Amino acid sequence: MKKIGLIAVMIAILVSTAVFAGGQQEAEQAPAAAESTDGFDWRQFEGQTIVACWPNHGHYNATMESGVIEEFEELTGIDVEIDLLQYIKMHDKQVLEMSKASGDYDMVSMVVMWKAEYAMGGMIEPLQPFFDNPNLAVPEYDFDDLVPGYVEVTGIAGGENIYMDGPGAKLYGLPFGSETSFLVYRQDLFDEYDIDVPETYDDLIEVSKFVHENIDGVGGLTMRGASGHHATHGYLLHASPYGARILEKGTWEPAFTEPESIKTIEFMKKMVEYGPPGMTGYTQDEEWQAFLQGDAAMYLDASVFTGAVNDPSKSKVVGKVGYALHPTAKTAGSETGGFGLAIPKNATNPEASFLFMQYLTMKETERKIIDNGGAPFRMSSVNDPALQEEYPEFEVLAEQLKYANPDWRPIIPEWGEINSTIGININQALTGEKTPEEAMEDAVDPIRDILIRAGYIDE
Amino acid sequence: MSSLSLRQKSTPLMFLLPSLVIMAFILLVPIIMGLRLSFFEWLMRDISKEPTFVGLRNYIELFKSDNFRTSVLVTIRFVLSVVVIEIVAGLILALLLESGLKGMRFFRTLFVLPIMVAPVVVGVMWRFMYNPSYGKINYLLTQLGFERVGWLSNPDIALTSVIIADVWQWTPFVFLLALAALQGIPKDLSDAAVVDGANYMQKLLRIKLPYIASILGVTAILRLIDAFRSLVVIFNLTYGGPGVSTEVMSLHLYKSAFVSQRLGLASAIAVLLLLLIVILSLGLIVSNLKNKEN
Repeated sequence: MKKIGLIAVMIAILVSTAVFAGGQQEAEQAPAAAESTDGFDWRQFEGQTIVACWPNHGHYNATMESGVIEEFEELTGIDVEIDLLQYIKMHDKQVLEMSKASGDYDMVSMVVMWKAEYAMGGMIEPLQPFFDNPNLAVPEYDFDDLVPGYVEVTGIAGGENIYMDGPGAKLYGLPFGSETSFLVYRQDLFDEYDIDVPETYDDLIEVSKFVHENIDGVGGLTMRGASGHHATHGYLLHASPYGARILEKGTWEPAFTEPESIKTIEFMKKMVEYGPPGMTGYTQDEEWQAFLQGDAAMYLDASVFTGAVNDPSKSKVVGKVGYALHPTAKTAGSETGGFGLAIPKNATNPEASFLFMQYLTMKETERKIIDNGGAPFRMSSVNDPALQEEYPEFEVLAEQLKYANPDWRPIIPEWGEINSTIGININQALTGEKTPEEAMEDAVDPIRDILIRAGYIDE
Repeated sequence: MSSLSLRQKSTPLMFLLPSLVIMAFILLVPIIMGLRLSFFEWLMRDISKEPTFVGLRNYIELFKSDNFRTSVLVTIRFVLSVVVIEIVAGLILALLLESGLKGMRFFRTLFVLPIMVAPVVVGVMWRFMYNPSYGKINYLLTQLGFERVGWLSNPDIALTSVIIADVWQWTPFVFLLALAALQGIPKDLSDAAVVDGANYMQKLLRIKLPYIASILGVTAILRLIDAFRSLVVIFNLTYGGPGVSTEVMSLHLYKSAFVSQRLGLASAIAVLLLLLIVILSLGLIVSNLKNKEN
């Protein structure tokens, strides 16, 4: 009997490890395509090793699978080591590394929310001196082809506007794994029920209501609503078109009690009512799953979602979707977010790291990453007719990027605390614990306290 | 003679000294450093700079904060619920399996499995089961003709959902200790009771429970301390939501340190959490000692 008990335990342990293991990825060994550029010395840092801290994220995984890292190593003789982390965990590790006299990282991938913090804390290098150095700057790089909104949101910080371009701002990062938002909808359902693709937020409400009332088991729009960061993200996506702001421009005073902001929350409450069940607990994962499993007719959030939609191992709706512009309310405005690449101040091999950074974001490399499921970040790619043929969302993306709003959220260094505080209140409004007005009013004092402490406003 | 006796007295102390020094380093030093840090403002992003002394500002801020007050209440509700439910449920299970039921070893093994599952996995697993669309629990409910329940999205229910997951994982721990205690009761005691004609309830109330009370008391203290610190399951299940309805103090502490990046404020929460645990555990320990004397 004792033995049987023991065996049962061992089987249970084995099964659980087998189930929860996995997720390991092997980088493919791609044949090296030695691209050398006329006159540019790619091999000037031969023998150096650079360590990059990257997130476990679709775009970065696509990069590793595409073989471009091996090609870079072949081309330059530089060794690249990737420290792949869960993106939530990267921040603390990066800050710790960058606070040391000499850190382990030569390159960090930063979520745009950390950009101002890193830049103003003197943790990362301004990139202009590198680009100005003819020995380091690749001649045919074509910086202006990078999506301007992405460059501003992922790379520009410091100065008067802190997280935006403006007097005193500098370039600190390049977009890599950046995204905007657009509408993804179920083409099959829209055809079957003869629904028009929503162009405005009023249309969006109408269509959501129609889907909720007429299509069994399918909700309108899937949306993040979980307390904290996710609810804030959901709110900001719609706040931008509604013309609402978290902080007043110029004065830094809270502006989220304005009528536009209340309107945004009332819209979200309608989406919760017409959407798939339980959205007030949705993180990004549940938001995605609801659409991928066919429980929601529409998705309006980060464009990086298309990789999952078209992957038959993750999605039940492959080939059943259409793409459209982010609907408009008072204005047109989609989000800008994702990741950017930067070089720590205490990097051991910053120049080699800069070569790697340029290589990763060049046109030819981008093409290979896109082919492996990565996200485009150059205007020439989304406008390329051949690519638009292959990836139908690129056409929408090309148009959407004109309205991508780099100022849709105030990513000052204190943003993490503000984000969390207001997100709790938004969630409370969504669950009905508070009215939208109460919820927003309750957030004013704590957020003013944060801003007073940081010296943005006076008491 | 007296010097010899001094040496005799000090010898055991000398043997203890190395471990005492180590204990002091790994236990006392961090606590004192944490206490000290709670009077400072130190931002994670400025970790290379020196902390700024702010006196009692962190504590004042906490006492004024609605979120913190809520998190204290949530913590107390969570801890008391799980400790009471787990002790009662664990005891009942132990009593059921104590008397040599057929296949008891099998059940004993089965019941112990949840303890061995890593808390992260428990969080993720229950999150899947509670999922409103494809979760097993709502599926069963709809099959039985009930409405779907917003296990993690309804602020009135979310804390209960968290408690269920914790009870699922930790009742076996109480069960194991209670079972061991029950099996430690000398046979002659219960035999004598049977001879005296005691029925099951009498045996339970007069012999078994008094006999195992002190062990149950220790178990309760262990669970209490653990429950106060529990973070991982709630972190993965609700991350404190909806609103702040499941934000226990340890999660509030985590968010202060790693989201708001305020290490001083987080230390102040840690100090208050420590105080709360010490007060409650002392209460339990004292009442336990009294029991023993009786």
